[in-house]
Amino acid sequence: MEQRLANCWRLTVNEKKFIESALLSELRVDGRGPLDYRKLNIKFGRDDGSAEIQLGETRVMSFVSAQLVQPYKDRPNEGTLSIFTEFSPMADPSFEPGRPGESAVELGRIIDRGLRESRAIDTESLCILSAKLVWAIRIDIHILDNAGNLVDAANIAALASLKTFRRPECSLGGEDGQQVVVHPPEVREPLPLIIHHLPVAVTFGFFSNENLVVLDPTYHEEAVMTGRMTATLNANGDVCAIQKPGGQGVFQRVIMHCLKLAHVKAGDITSKINDAVEKHNNERALQKIKRHSSSVAVDVCGATATLGGKQNQSHGDKEGSHLDQSKLKGETNFMECDATSSGQVQSSKKDGSSKNFTGGPSSWDPYSECVNSDLLKASLASRGQLTPSKQKDSRHETKPEEPVQEIKTVSAPLDTALTAGQSNEGKTLKDAVKPKNKRKKKTSTNNGN
Amino acid sequence: MESKSAGSSTNFVDQLVYPGDVVLDLSTMTNQTIKLGGGLRQDGDVISVMKAGRLRFSKPNKYWVESSQKRYVPHAEDSVLGIIVDSRSDNFLVDIKGPTLAFLPVLAFEGGTRRNIPKFEVGALIYVRVVKAIPGMNPELSCTDASGKAGEFGALKEGYMFECSTGLSRMLLSTPTCPVLDTLGKKLSFEIAVGLNGRVWVNASSPSTTIIVANALINSEVLSGVQQKIMAEKLLQRVQ
Repeated sequence: MEQRLANCWRLTVNEKKFIESALLSELRVDGRGPLDYRKLNIKFGRDDGSAEIQLGETRVMSFVSAQLVQPYKDRPNEGTLSIFTEFSPMADPSFEPGRPGESAVELGRIIDRGLRESRAIDTESLCILSAKLVWAIRIDIHILDNAGNLVDAANIAALASLKTFRRPECSLGGEDGQQVVVHPPEVREPLPLIIHHLPVAVTFGFFSNENLVVLDPTYHEEAVMTGRMTATLNANGDVCAIQKPGGQGVFQRVIMHCLKLAHVKAGDITSKINDAVEKHNNERALQKIKRHSSSVAVDVCGATATLGGKQNQSHGDKEGSHLDQSKLKGETNFMECDATSSGQVQSSKKDGSSKNFTGGPSSWDPYSECVNSDLLKASLASRGQLTPSKQKDSRHETKPEEPVQEIKTVSAPLDTALTAGQSNEGKTLKDAVKPKNKRKKKTSTNNGN
Repeated sequence: MESKSAGSSTNFVDQLVYPGDVVLDLSTMTNQTIKLGGGLRQDGDVISVMKAGRLRFSKPNKYWVESSQKRYVPHAEDSVLGIIVDSRSDNFLVDIKGPTLAFLPVLAFEGGTRRNIPKFEVGALIYVRVVKAIPGMNPELSCTDASGKAGEFGALKEGYMFECSTGLSRMLLSTPTCPVLDTLGKKLSFEIAVGLNGRVWVNASSPSTTIIVANALINSEVLSGVQQKIMAEKLLQRVQ
C-alpha cells in the first residue's frame, strides 16, 4: 500500500494554479497555443493493418485482423466490426493489468461509435455468403505511453491501420456455389477494406474559467481540467459522434465553436493520415516491383548470349521431347529464360539499368537440344504478360509493344499460361515452374494442335 | 604509492563504467584508506562497479559512480522538493519520489512549537532536507538546516514544478553554473529551486518567462555546454 502511495503521480497546487493562469494569457506549458495539436507521427509495421501513432509523447499501437464468422441474425448481409482496447501498465502507473477500467471502455466506445454509426466502413462488402459467412474485422488498440489525449491518438491509430489492412480474397466454388475458397496472399492479392470516410476524434478540455478551451490536452492538463468533450467529425464536416462525459457544464455557443474547430482539425488530420498511408503503399509497391525485377533479371542474363541459336534448334526438336520431359523440369528455368529472352531482348537492351547480371550462360548450353517449341511459346506468353506491365510501372519504357506483339502471335494455351504468369508475381523462378503434370497436359494439347 | 594508485585508476576516472568493470586493484595500493561512494563495491582485493555511470574521484581518496535515473534513492543531507500527501498528529507525509513516503515532523521548522504548527494543504510543494535515510525505513525530513535555521527551506508558493532525471538536477546544481542557467540568467529574471530527487521549481514574474525557463531546462538534459547555450539563445530569440 505504501509503495503504491509513493509511486503515483501527484498534482501540486502550484501546477494547477500555474496552468490555469498561463492559459489566461493563451500560453500552454509546452509552448503550444491553446488550439495547437502536438506533433503527429504515423508509422506502419510490416504486417498489413498495423500502425503506431505518436502524438507528442503519447504512443498508441493498433492492429487490425479479420476472421470468417457467422453473421448476426438480424443483419445477415453485413460483416462485423469490433474494437478491443488494452491499457498496458507500462503506459501509466495507474493502469492495472486485467479487466479494462472505465477509461479503457470509454475510449473503445468512442472509437466504435465514430466508425459504426457513421458507416465509415462498408460492412456489406464484407459479406461472402448471406446468413452464413461474413468477415469479422477486429481492431486491437494498445496504449503504449500515456502523455494525455489517448482518445485522439487511439482513433488515428485505428484509422491508419484500417486503411492499410488487406483481407484475403475469397471466391465461391464447389458444386452448388456454396463452398468458400479463401485465397492465400501468394495466390491472389489481398483486398483493402472499403472505407467511405475517416471519422477523426478531436478532444477539448474545459477549465473552471468558462472561456478557456484547450485542444489536445497533455497529461498534466488533463489532471487540471474540469470537463472534457470529444467530437468525432470527418473532413466533410459531418458530425459522427460527440461525447461529453459529465464534468463542467458548458454553454451551447462554446460547443458550436468547438465543433467548428474540430472540423478544421479533422481536415488537417485526415490529410496527414492519407499522406502517410499513401507513402506507405508506394513503398510497398516499390518493394514488390523490386522483387519482380530481380527474378526477371535472372532470365535475361542467362539467355541473351544464346538467343539466336536456341530458336532454330527448338523448332527442329518438336518430336523427340518425351524422353526429355524428365529433364525439362530441371531445365524449365533455363527454358523460361530462353522464352523471355526473345520477348525481352529489346527491352533489356533499352533498360540496361539496375538489373544484376549474375548467371553463367555457358552452363546452360548443353541443354539446348531439349527445348520444346510449344512449351517455349507457352512460357513466352506467360512471361510476356508479366513484363510489359512491369516495364510500364517501374521504368518508363518506350517500347513495350514488341513483347506484346510476341504474345499475340502465340495462340493456344493462353489460359494456363496466364495463371502461371500471374502466380509468378513476387516469387522466384522455382515458383514460376508449374508442376510436372501441368506441363504434360499442355504438351499433349499442343501436340494435338 | 599515491602516483601508482592514481596511475592504475586514471584509466577509469571520469569515464563511463559498467557493472562488472574492475576499477581499482587494492593489492597495488597498501596502507591506504579509500572511501567508496555509491555504485562501487569491494570484492576481496578489487573494487568493482555495480551501477552504470561515470566514475568520479575527489581528493584525497573518494571514489563513486555517478548515474542518472528517474527514480530517487533518498540519502541524508540531500535537499529535495516534496509534495505534502497527508498530515498526521506528529508528522506530515511527504512524497519525495523515493520508494516510500517520507515523514516531516511537525516541529522540524525554525522556532517550531506545538502552538505554531504550520498548516499545509494536500498538494503543497515544499523544499526540505533529508535528515535520515535508512534503507527499509521511511526517510525523515526537516525544514531547517543542521543548525536549526530555516534558510531557504519551507513552502514554495506560485511558480511551476516539473520532474526530470537526477542527472539533470545535479547538473543544474553544479558549480560553476551550468551554461543554460547562465545564458537564461543574462536576459531573464527568475528563481529556481532544484531538488536532488529530480524535481525543479521555477518562478518568474510572467508565465511566459516561466515557460521558457522550464522548457530550456528540460531540453538541456542531453546537450553539451555549447549546445545548451545555443538552444537557450534560440528560445530567447523566439520570444523577443
